[in-house]
Amino acid sequence: MSEITTTPAQLSVRHLTRHFTTRVPGRLLHAKRVVRAVDDASLDLVRGQVTAVVGESGSGKSVLARMLARIIAPTSGELILEGTTIPAGAKRTLEYASKVQLVLQDPYASTNPVHRIRHSLERPLLIHGAKKHDVEDLAKAALSRVSLDPPERFLDRYPHELSGGQLQRVSIARALCVKPDVLLADEPISMLDVSVRLGILNLLKGLCDNEHLAVLYITHDIASARYLADEIIVMYAGQIVERSRGTALVDEPTHPYTQLLIASVPDPSDPTSQASQSDEHSSYAVPEVGCRFAPRCPFVMDVCRTTDPPVFQVGEGHTSRCWLYADRPEAVVEMALPERRREGETTKT
Amino acid sequence: MIADPLKTQATSKMMDMQLREVAPASAHHEFVLEVNNFNVDYGVGENMVRAVNDVTLKLRRSQVLGVAGESGSGKSTLVYAMTRLLRAPGVISGGDVTLNITNDGDSDEVTPINLVTASEKELRQIRWSHVSIVLQSALNALNPVLRVGREFHEVLKTHRRELTKSQRHARSVELLKMVGLNEDRLARFPHELSGGQRQRIMIALALALDPELVIMDEPTTALDVVTQREIINELNELRSRYGFALIFITHDLSLLIELADEIVVMYAGAIIERAGASELYEAPRHPYTLGLINSFPPMHGDRRELTGIPGSPPDLAELPEGCSFAPRCPYAMARCLHEAPALLNIGDSDRSVACWLHTGDSSVTVPVELSRSSSPSRAHVTVLQDHT
Repeated sequence: MSEITTTPAQLSVRHLTRHFTTRVPGRLLHAKRVVRAVDDASLDLVRGQVTAVVGESGSGKSVLARMLARIIAPTSGELILEGTTIPAGAKRTLEYASKVQLVLQDPYASTNPVHRIRHSLERPLLIHGAKKHDVEDLAKAALSRVSLDPPERFLDRYPHELSGGQLQRVSIARALCVKPDVLLADEPISMLDVSVRLGILNLLKGLCDNEHLAVLYITHDIASARYLADEIIVMYAGQIVERSRGTALVDEPTHPYTQLLIASVPDPSDPTSQASQSDEHSSYAVPEVGCRFAPRCPFVMDVCRTTDPPVFQVGEGHTSRCWLYADRPEAVVEMALPERRREGETTKT
Repeated sequence: MIADPLKTQATSKMMDMQLREVAPASAHHEFVLEVNNFNVDYGVGENMVRAVNDVTLKLRRSQVLGVAGESGSGKSTLVYAMTRLLRAPGVISGGDVTLNITNDGDSDEVTPINLVTASEKELRQIRWSHVSIVLQSALNALNPVLRVGREFHEVLKTHRRELTKSQRHARSVELLKMVGLNEDRLARFPHELSGGQRQRIMIALALALDPELVIMDEPTTALDVVTQREIINELNELRSRYGFALIFITHDLSLLIELADEIVVMYAGAIIERAGASELYEAPRHPYTLGLINSFPPMHGDRRELTGIPGSPPDLAELPEGCSFAPRCPYAMARCLHEAPALLNIGDSDRSVACWLHTGDSSVTVPVELSRSSSPSRAHVTVLQDHT
């Protein structure tokens, strides 16, 4: 494990925050409300590792991925690519795009239906400065990397002629053909058939192991995160609530939200797993002060409603943003510190 | 036995009368729904694609039948055709569907109704009061310009004419309570509700007239896992209270194993395996079922590499000769490539599978992972797992 921590992160983010301002429906024009889509997220994407971000819809996980791809500009916080801090407000450059690539959820929506696969693969190559006579070979090489063999068979097909799994491989190939160091995959398997999902997961794992890509895997399926990831991060309402290395988070969840999430997963091997919750949770608004999970939390205490919990160390490489762990004051990690770095040397408050 | 859809329409009334004569109305039927050799095509002539191929199934009263399959396996087409909701170019090209409805007052008396030949007028009487359906996208199923309460009122106004306005309101409130929603939701528009709340409204609407059979087509697929769990718990409770039979369609086999009494697995339009839920999970017989079960990464135990199923689901317009799963099957034999296996019972058990590995042919060695025996009780299995 120690050699992992010493590996420098390819892409890091520190205290990344994105707020959206929306109008309150039915009120005067001036009535505005701030949606805290992502609050104070810090993480490191390391070469040869898969970092999984798990959360339900609206937890901010996709906004986080788009900030990492610099499609959405953060409200505050910084991105550090290969040790170089990217100045706030700087435009997304071609150079950045060639290092960090994003794969989207729906391959049918992210490929142009009127163009052949060749076009989808060659266009980014040309934009990124490949020689015109090289692009076909490069495109073929990219298809081979995602196990679409023989590549000639796929180059001249249209997206509708491929199955969902094949097309998702094409969109991964398209991301790979500019030789990125970081691959951001936003729910890459949720639109696919069950029987082809594992193929895509194994492909991501292979790219990570064999080609030392840093992979961010965004999902709502915690079982697939457990299968794939070296680090698992759970987000709730824009905040990172729990994170762990390896499978500790799934095997011994500490945050009540993670516990609820895991108990909700249908698990045929354990028919006794039955999470139940109060009705109409979805109507709970995220509170302005205190812990965001407090209205749904079965263990809620007074302090939860008044003060946002800091991040507590609950195990080796395992942190939780929950007041339940406050009885161990030595475990307090400063809020939103890059925990990965501070492993072992916990900060006293 | 391919029937001309136009012809069946014309003779529907006659057929229906005949059917009622043959089956005595007083006979107690343990099955609420019987489907025999059911075929559904898309299009006619050369470009015809068979989406549901020779499906036979039976559903007992108050039971949950799970239908599992990937996109294009024909699971949705099956239920749309069964309930006569299928639109052109979908055509029912053979087989029959019998719904045994109970008469009011006397639960022992049933009237069999052939849904394939039933007239629009008869269907209107059956739909909602005897069979109701919950679709995947509640946002599309609810009218966006009507308040939720209007939907309830319209159902009750059409089917329960004797109710007064205040009685209809009282019933709507009662239905919302049943699915754990507050009565003030009646005044809301669909877009003001969350996905889970909308799906609860759909379930409440489906139960409005106490149907005997509820069909749910991927009702939780668009929902978060936590909301899905709440809906499933709610559904289990409602079922034990009201005793309706349920057909639950999903691609999520692990969810079905928990929810259903019996599961049928569909592949390329045909049922390839049918078994009790725990039997299916513990002792799958068809290589595709085994592959599906192994496609879900486990939540416990060591992480090990899983392979899933190679290849991709077949195109119904270009089905391979022989077994449709053979090109993806790791156990495929020469025979599989030429002859399609029929869905047959295994030995004398009541589970069935369509696979040449399980025809009792002694020259075929069944791989060990497809010949596991299912344990007698689930409690026993849990204990065993704890020890390992």
